[in-house]
Amino acid sequence: MRCLIIEDDRGTAHYIQTGLTEAGHETVLAETGKDGMHLAGQDDWDAIILDRLLPDGPDGMTILSSLREAGKQTPVLILSALAALDERVRGLRSGADDYLTKPFAIEELLARLEALGRRAASSREDPYELTVADLKLDLRSRRVERAGKLISVQPREFRLLEYLVRHQDQVVTRTMLLEGVWDYNFDPQTGVIDVQISRLRQKIDKDHGMQLIHTVRGVGYMLSSHG
Amino acid sequence: MVKLPIPGSVTFRLALGFGTMTLLSLALLSGMFYLGTVGTLERGIDHKLEMTSLNLGQRAEIEGSLAIQEEIQRLLDDGVDTDTEVYQLTAADGRPLSGNLDSIPADLSPGVLSDRTVQRAGRVSTSRLLLRTLRGGEHLVVGRDLEDLRNIRGLVLQALGLGGAGAAFLAIGGALLFRRLIEQRLAAIRRTAARIGAGDLGWRVPAPRHNDEFSRLSADINIMLDRIQTLMDGVRDVSNAIAHDMRTPLGRIRARLDQSLRSSPGDAPALAEAARDAITGIDDLVGLLQRLLEIAEVEAGGRRHKMEPVPLSPLLQDLAELYDALAEHRGIALSLVIEGEPTAKGDRDLLAMAAVNLLDNACKYAGEGARITLSAREQAGWIALAVTDDGPGIPASQRREVLKRFTRLDSSRHQPGNGLGLALVEAVVRIHGGLLELDHAGGPASRPGLTVRLQLPKAI
Repeated sequence: MRCLIIEDDRGTAHYIQTGLTEAGHETVLAETGKDGMHLAGQDDWDAIILDRLLPDGPDGMTILSSLREAGKQTPVLILSALAALDERVRGLRSGADDYLTKPFAIEELLARLEALGRRAASSREDPYELTVADLKLDLRSRRVERAGKLISVQPREFRLLEYLVRHQDQVVTRTMLLEGVWDYNFDPQTGVIDVQISRLRQKIDKDHGMQLIHTVRGVGYMLSSHG
Repeated sequence: MVKLPIPGSVTFRLALGFGTMTLLSLALLSGMFYLGTVGTLERGIDHKLEMTSLNLGQRAEIEGSLAIQEEIQRLLDDGVDTDTEVYQLTAADGRPLSGNLDSIPADLSPGVLSDRTVQRAGRVSTSRLLLRTLRGGEHLVVGRDLEDLRNIRGLVLQALGLGGAGAAFLAIGGALLFRRLIEQRLAAIRRTAARIGAGDLGWRVPAPRHNDEFSRLSADINIMLDRIQTLMDGVRDVSNAIAHDMRTPLGRIRARLDQSLRSSPGDAPALAEAARDAITGIDDLVGLLQRLLEIAEVEAGGRRHKMEPVPLSPLLQDLAELYDALAEHRGIALSLVIEGEPTAKGDRDLLAMAAVNLLDNACKYAGEGARITLSAREQAGWIALAVTDDGPGIPASQRREVLKRFTRLDSSRHQPGNGLGLALVEAVVRIHGGLLELDHAGGPASRPGLTVRLQLPKAI
């Protein structure tokens, strides 16, 4: 992916650039609002990582709204120290595709960035059925089959599985699951997500040679048929 | 133009305005009264003079001036109004023919009523006169002495003057009194404000005796001050707690990093281990900050949360499902009991957040094998949302304590947590105008259990 990073803090910017480069992405850095505004409108980026508070020139929200006003649908991930729910809602309402608060783990950023890139590319799929290897999800009847055998899942488990399948071969973090599947913007203290996943894994992967749900240590989970 | 200095005082301006209005209305009233008395008299006199002059003029045309001379004589002799009547007829050459004036003032114009000082029968007085020139060139003056009218006018003006002065005195006095009264009432509030401004937050506006606008204002101000004081105390507590709760882990992280740098400078694996530990420690601190922020947001954002009907059944079902797996994993029996269709008036996200905290707590502290019930029902016009467990419970003496931020009972120190969960729940309940209640769940003395009940407003 070609990513534009608009971030004034050198340390953070370096952290992001290194992480993204290691993951095989191409990055360009803008350190001021002015440069950011200029670069954001200039090129067709795969994604833009946008800080909200910037020196010299427009702030992040201004860059975002002028980008959207210009009709550009480039995925934008806001990366901000403004962590209040209100701020988050404001960011998302203004046209951001995701909102991550500082401090953050680079794995979380990468996972979310890749989900954004995927979202932009994923409109060609079968609208009623999702398949990964021998796992089949029927979106109309909300039934799950593995190797032709029906598996009974609760409604939330279905949504969890659907989320994992839609992001297959991609790391998803616990907070992404909480936001995407349960629509909660807060973090339960206990490991509810881990237990949900392990129960789902019991239903999906037990007695099958190939594991589909993988744990990515310290980061989250990934559904993949490539082992 | 000289600009009057008007002091920056509302009461002064009110009093001034009030006084001015009173005096203006008084002036208007006096004017009307004057016109109604003296004015009416004057108009009557003028009318009569004009009529008499016209009559005599017409008779002179028909009967000749001799008849007029006799008529004037008759009028002066008839004993009616004799001391106020003025008549004078002079020939064209200025020779007096009849009447009681010594001479006709030279500057009198015909047809115009005017007041002149004249000599009548040797006596000087002021009269209103009307001159008419007859066909034969004779001059006819009809008039009336104004002595009595002047007396009446003097009396009326005197009465008005005295009354006006009295009224003005009362108006000004009243205005000043009014100003003083209001300033006295405001002074109590201002004194309190000054004390508060100087930092003495314990001060309150004295409770007034009457139930009027000022006492209601005072009461409102006192409620506001109570709230501010609670918040200030809260901030102070939190600052202390943060200082303590953040310093300790920060110190630990620092020590760990410092130590590994010193003791194993070239040992990459050891340094990496220390760095990983540091990251974990910092993540915990970030979590703590996030939680504090959530509480602050709930407490600060009274107006921003949109209160709408929240059906609790789907919400709690959702949460029960979310915790179901965790409960199963820990051998906890989690059940959901919904009676009827309880619908609270509130903010869905906040209510979910509160319930999640209660479920978290129950799972953590009730321990393996516990029974947890999540329930909701309508109760006496309120909605009761409760989480009940059969764990060790909280002793009655400590129930108030656990609602404070950063409170962690000794019995829970070994569990992960930051002592903010119930404080957050409490903030959520308060923003909804509800009540939070902690109680034992009716188990045996060794394991009384705990019920945390949120009493929430019902959606209408």
